[in-house]
Amino acid sequence: MKLNITLPKFLRIGTLPLILILFMAIAFVVAMMRYAFGIGAISDLSYSYPWGFWISFDLFTGVVISSGGFLMAGTVYILRIKEFEPLLRPSILTAFLGYIMVAVALLVDLGQPLRIWYMMIHWNHTSVLLEIGICVMSYLTVLAIEFTPVVLERFPKLHKVAHLIHKFIMPFVILGVVLSTLHQSSLGSLLLIQPQKLHPLWWTPILPILFFSSAVTVGMAMIIFESTLSSRYFQRGLETHLLAKLAKGLPVALGFYLVLKFGELAVAGDLGYLFTSGVMSALFWAEILIGAVIPLIWFSIEKNRANPNRLFAGAVILLLGMILNRFNVSWFAVKHPDPLFYMPTFMGNVKYFPTLPEVAVSIGIFSAGIMAFGLIAKYFPVFEAEHETEETHAPVRRLHPAPTAADD
Amino acid sequence: MTDIKHHAYLFDATRCIDCRACMVACSVENNIEMDKTRIWVAGLGVTGEYPNLQRSTMVYHCMHCEHPDCMSACPVGAYTKAPDGPVSYNPDVCIGCRYCMNACPFGVPHFDYDKGIIDGAFIDKCTFCPQRIYNGQEPACVQTCPTDALEYGDRDELIKRAHERIAAHPDRYINHVYGEHENGGTSYLIISHVPFKDLGLPELPETPINEVSEKVMEMTIPFALSWGAVLTAVTVGVAAYEKKNGKGKAEQTK
Amino acid sequence: MTKTISRRDFLKLGAAGAGALALGSMLPPKVAEAARAAGTIDAEGNGFVHSMCEMCVWRCGLIAKVVNGRVVKLDGNPEHEHSRGNLCPRGQSGLMNTYDPDRVLTPLIRVGKRGEGLFRPASWDEALDLVARNMLAIKEKYGAEAMVFSSTHNLSQPLFENLLYAFGSPNYGTQRSLCFNAMIVSNLMTYGMEEPARIYDDKLKYIILTGRNLLEAISTSETHDLIMAIDRGAKVVYLDPRYTKTASKAAEWLPVKPGMDLAFHLALLHVIIRERLYNRWFVEQHTVGFDELKKEVMRYTPEWAAPLTGISAETITRIAREFAKAAPHALAHNGWRTSNFVNSFHTQRAISILNALVGNWNVTMTAAAEEGAGLGAPPQPPYPRVSALRLDGVPWKYPVVPFKLGVFQELRDNIVKGEPYQAHGWFISRQNPIMSLPDRAKTLEAFGKMDFIVTVDIIMNDTAWFSDVVLPEASYLERYDPLLPVGDKAFIRQPVIEPQGEAKSALWIYKQLGERLGLGDYFQYEDEEDYLRQQLAPLGADLEEVKKKGYAEMPESEHAGFTWNTPSGKIELYSDTLAKVGFPGVPTWEEPPQPKEGQFYLLTGKVAQSTQFGTQNNQLLHKYSDEPRLWMNAKTAASLGLATDDWVEVASEVGQIHIKLLATEAIRPDCVYLTPGYGHLSKGLKTAYGVGASDSVVHVTYTDPISGSQALSQTFVTVRKA
Ligand SMILES: Nc1nc2c(c(=O)[nH]1)N[C@H]1C(S)=C(S)[C@@H](COP(=O)(O)OP(=O)(O)OC[C@H]3O[C@@H](n4cnc5c(=O)[nH]c(N)nc54)[C@H](O)[C@@H]3O)O[C@H]1N2
Ligand SMILES: Nc1nc2c(c(=O)[nH]1)N[C@H]1C(S)=C(S)[C@@H](COP(=O)(O)OP(=O)(O)OC[C@H]3O[C@@H](n4cnc5c(=O)[nH]c(N)nc54)[C@H](O)[C@@H]3O)O[C@H]1N2
Ligand code: SF4
Ligand code: SF4
Ligand code: SF4
Ligand code: SF4
Ligand code: SF4
Ligand SMILES: [Mo]
Repeated sequence: MKLNITLPKFLRIGTLPLILILFMAIAFVVAMMRYAFGIGAISDLSYSYPWGFWISFDLFTGVVISSGGFLMAGTVYILRIKEFEPLLRPSILTAFLGYIMVAVALLVDLGQPLRIWYMMIHWNHTSVLLEIGICVMSYLTVLAIEFTPVVLERFPKLHKVAHLIHKFIMPFVILGVVLSTLHQSSLGSLLLIQPQKLHPLWWTPILPILFFSSAVTVGMAMIIFESTLSSRYFQRGLETHLLAKLAKGLPVALGFYLVLKFGELAVAGDLGYLFTSGVMSALFWAEILIGAVIPLIWFSIEKNRANPNRLFAGAVILLLGMILNRFNVSWFAVKHPDPLFYMPTFMGNVKYFPTLPEVAVSIGIFSAGIMAFGLIAKYFPVFEAEHETEETHAPVRRLHPAPTAADD
Repeated sequence: MTDIKHHAYLFDATRCIDCRACMVACSVENNIEMDKTRIWVAGLGVTGEYPNLQRSTMVYHCMHCEHPDCMSACPVGAYTKAPDGPVSYNPDVCIGCRYCMNACPFGVPHFDYDKGIIDGAFIDKCTFCPQRIYNGQEPACVQTCPTDALEYGDRDELIKRAHERIAAHPDRYINHVYGEHENGGTSYLIISHVPFKDLGLPELPETPINEVSEKVMEMTIPFALSWGAVLTAVTVGVAAYEKKNGKGKAEQTK
Repeated sequence: MTKTISRRDFLKLGAAGAGALALGSMLPPKVAEAARAAGTIDAEGNGFVHSMCEMCVWRCGLIAKVVNGRVVKLDGNPEHEHSRGNLCPRGQSGLMNTYDPDRVLTPLIRVGKRGEGLFRPASWDEALDLVARNMLAIKEKYGAEAMVFSSTHNLSQPLFENLLYAFGSPNYGTQRSLCFNAMIVSNLMTYGMEEPARIYDDKLKYIILTGRNLLEAISTSETHDLIMAIDRGAKVVYLDPRYTKTASKAAEWLPVKPGMDLAFHLALLHVIIRERLYNRWFVEQHTVGFDELKKEVMRYTPEWAAPLTGISAETITRIAREFAKAAPHALAHNGWRTSNFVNSFHTQRAISILNALVGNWNVTMTAAAEEGAGLGAPPQPPYPRVSALRLDGVPWKYPVVPFKLGVFQELRDNIVKGEPYQAHGWFISRQNPIMSLPDRAKTLEAFGKMDFIVTVDIIMNDTAWFSDVVLPEASYLERYDPLLPVGDKAFIRQPVIEPQGEAKSALWIYKQLGERLGLGDYFQYEDEEDYLRQQLAPLGADLEEVKKKGYAEMPESEHAGFTWNTPSGKIELYSDTLAKVGFPGVPTWEEPPQPKEGQFYLLTGKVAQSTQFGTQNNQLLHKYSDEPRLWMNAKTAASLGLATDDWVEVASEVGQIHIKLLATEAIRPDCVYLTPGYGHLSKGLKTAYGVGASDSVVHVTYTDPISGSQALSQTFVTVRKA
């Protein structure tokens, strides 16, 4: 039997988008519950655990995996290494969406979401969080500007405007790099205020530097990761030679990071904790091995850099390790008040485990990001080189007719 | 009422009987909701093995730090440290980020997890009862304490009193006034017969915790400006180099 | 996580007016007219009013803050010797009793079966007429003695007593035999006074507390005194099978075997006499019966006491020496709820005598001022003669128990038995006998024998729940009560707010009822203020002034010096009075019963966050209370395969309860402990209902034959996993 119902084309949705939409819908419902009944109604956050999964995943992870944007902008615009141009737009788009996701997640996590803009008018200059807030908001603007040409190119009549923006792009690029440097590192500074809560294997005054240097490695890995994925999904040619070049830089960056990290531990006299802190030691070694040591070795091997699959695998390993690092500093290695507090019972929750709704919110937002990436990549010239030099040309045709998300 | 230059409390753990009158008093005075509190008991409870037992408790509320980490951390400046002691919170600017809760080494600020956006979710913590202390009364918790485990007065005087008490009974007390120097000093001072960590108090350095982050913050603008300058220079430099060499570097390598 | 907590929002309750909510309407707050007249509350209803706490019988002075006609805060009155500016947690929470949404605010008449909790609201006229009609009918049919009256200590008690004595009933039940009969009777026999005052002065060096858990069973000023004495370096020796908060502050905690305190104290007397550590001059001058005492206690060596008490002979000897050395700056505290075992009277006698032997008189203890002395009272005719026997066995079974103390549990038992005659009616005020008497099933049985039960209370306590008529008294923040002298001041209780709903003061209720019973002559006052004016008359004080100041000055009462109101005029180490009625004249060893293999002593004892059986519904106290669980020694629990939070069944010969376990090191291995006051039957207590279990269900009734004390620790229970 065959059903002869054919949906109009625009209503046909592929499996992946369908799943994404489902996740988004769940997250939406959960978020509405949160707005109606409070954060406690959907999460396990408590007096002892003010920050949990959302901060570790949406903020700390979200920001760091968006670092490809400023890396590529810096490489292509400032260092003018033009060969990386094909990677520029996807990276900027990823970053742009990444930061929007961060912002959306914060709107769920903040107690007073409608006041998020208060950060613009009430400034407490000693607050690291303020710096991050301002940087992120400003950087979002910069990313929007950097990405506008892509949107405008879609409309032939607006090419002029796109071109105009392009002409004045440099100050924004520089601003973008500065802002990124600041907040990528400040995310580490955020934890400087909890020396007695954060385990000494992680707490150090150079947290901001560690955060920045690791963000650089994550940025590179993300470019590899996301280029590989989208090339597959959009059945686009993969710029393997470019990625390989990029990957060549990784061992250097990782090496630098490792030297800093262990050097600091040695100087602070905290090396002892490496083997004596039980679960904490294990977590530390896990993130170091997965996030730095293994990738360092992996990417040092020429063969691994030349093969797209191996490149991808290496990037995934690095990302997992570094994300674990972000979870460690912002959650797993943070010590919270313990059973000493036995009164009154409603303050007694000293254990935290994210609830399903909590995770659902993050998944939903993440899904929205992927969906947005797909749609934008479908309708806008994301995977094309910019043609600032060939002004007269209309945007180049697609190399391959990209199958769209909706056709899947 | 003697002139109090710097409002402070002194808590003597040897006197506290865990009766919780202070907690009830705070709830009533400040109209605290039934499932919230600004003041609570910490401590290990009964320890040891029958019949060799010990028990100690400490009443915990905002320490009114001299260099409040909550205040340092809050992005929108919701906290204020009054020159005469109290650290207060302003709900009108709070965005509910809960960074202050992370920042406070004592786990003091609490958050309305049970409030949606219509009610508005805020931070709450001990205010030092300004409505009382600026009207010649002791804070509600102090005033009611049946054993004078909680006392209120001028910080310098209380520090003196604490040391005198320790000196009078060196066998009874640990020779240390917690809060005199911890975290750069607090306005809640504690003396005890058991190690302070058994009372749930963190071990803190004498330099304020927020010193490191505040220094980093101070460096931010200068750093941003210099970094921006460096990047501009590089941009200009690279562009100039390219011009000189005729073609873009990128195209050369292609 | 906050989700486990039901959202009871004090703020919202406060704003809407809990009382008004219960009535189903939103009444505007009523400012206390009297306070407004006195000028302590202004036209907007803001101000401070002096009054007195009634959350327990210590009656601390308080200052209530009123905003817009609502009480918003209570602070201790610094001028009151019982509060000294402080209030205990119960005192602090007092306004929540007044604003309890479960308050009874209108007279109620039962419509369902007893215990069903179905009532209909009635007017005062209807309710009082009904009560009077029933009381008179019972008097008519069975005699006045068929009406039982019972009440726990309160300020309007003289008027309550007017009601019962004028009515002609001898049957009066008070909490005293459940509380301190042993201590009072022993002091009467020794010093000729109920309870000598204790003095905690700067020189006090040594304190022996026998189960007086002063740091949890709080009397604000005495609790303060004890802590300050410790602070100054006084040594506290504390006897309790439990490691209480008092134990944790004592220099020495002696986990005595329950009921063996007597052996400990007899041995102390032994050492002090044998080693001639007593104050010979004092003993010769001011006591009688030393030789008899000496003869008796020579048997009680520390070596004899050691295995009984579980306290080593050396320790006992050392404490005796230390105590005697510290004397007269030493105090052996009698304790307060001393109704622990059938031998408690002897324990109390031993303690009273210990103080006398070392000559502490007028140093750490002295004669207490007589309650109510120096104040005026309305004129009243003498009471009618009553010839009927008392149901509680006083004095025909308990010859040395004073009438005003009585033996409440015996009264209840004889109601059940119908001997020597059957009672038919019960008038209860400010008391919760269903919970406070041992063996709850039996108390309910006694209720079942009644044709008519009326209860005066402020909330739907368990006793009210089983009554036929409930009369709502105004809460202590809403009413006047007779003045209470403390030291050289007579303090006032006055309305801070106007009574909510239809609630009325006891002074008003008793007078109204008295008139309906044809006993108007015993209530010769116009209204509450008139009663106070008559009280103040001899002092020449003006009521309006007193209302403002909170108290009236009293002439300083002279000190008793060295005279005692005993037959001999001296302190009686040997009591002829006792001997004459066949009891030992000196403290004598009386072996208390002990649990059988597999059984535990069931201990009871107060916690700082509740008073008896009447405050568990207070939401503020509920908020800061620990969950009531059955304490059991951790090792014992482990050996029985029990762990904290396991549900267990606790059973005695009279009943069984289910409760969660708390395995703790803080109790003797042969004891279990349960916080009293939980496990309410009344569903009218919405906060308290369903919380914990009642130890009164399992308490077995045993009465000390001399003092009439109920032996509250003499119940042995088995514990098994439920
Ligand atoms: N917070 C609070 N304070 C109160 C009251 C209240 O209800 N709550 N009630 C007031 C009243 S009416 C009274 S009478 C007093 C009572 O005050 P207390 O006299 O202190 O009486 P409890 O708390 O009933 O019991 C004291 C202790 O006796 C122990 N005990 C039981 N059996 C024995 C024994 O055989 N020997 C010894 N040595 N100890 C034993 C129990 O473990 C308990 O810890 O408190 C008054 N103060
Ligand atoms: N199991 C066990 N039994 C005990 C004890 C124990 O520790 N454990 N303790 C014993 C001791 S020490 C005592 S003193 C007795 C006490 O025994 P009870 O006197 O029977 O008990 P309370 O709970 O004090 O009863 C007070 C009643 O008065 C009501 N009430 C409160 N305020 C007012 C008011 O202003 N007016 C009126 N009319 N009523 C008011 C309360 O709601 C409560 O119902 O219990 C004894 N029984
Ligand atoms: S104790 Fe915490 S909340 Fe209070 S002032 Fe210090 S940092 Fe701030
Ligand atoms: S929760 Fe409010 S008070 Fe706390 S840091 Fe954030 S904005 Fe400041
Ligand atoms: S000072 Fe005031 S607000 Fe702070 S704990 Fe004490 S009563 Fe509560
Ligand atoms: S009121 Fe005083 S004694 Fe009671 S818990 Fe509070 S600090 Fe301790
Ligand atoms: S001891 Fe507590 S409950 Fe009793 S009268 Fe004083 S304040 Fe009130
Ligand atoms: Mo009592």
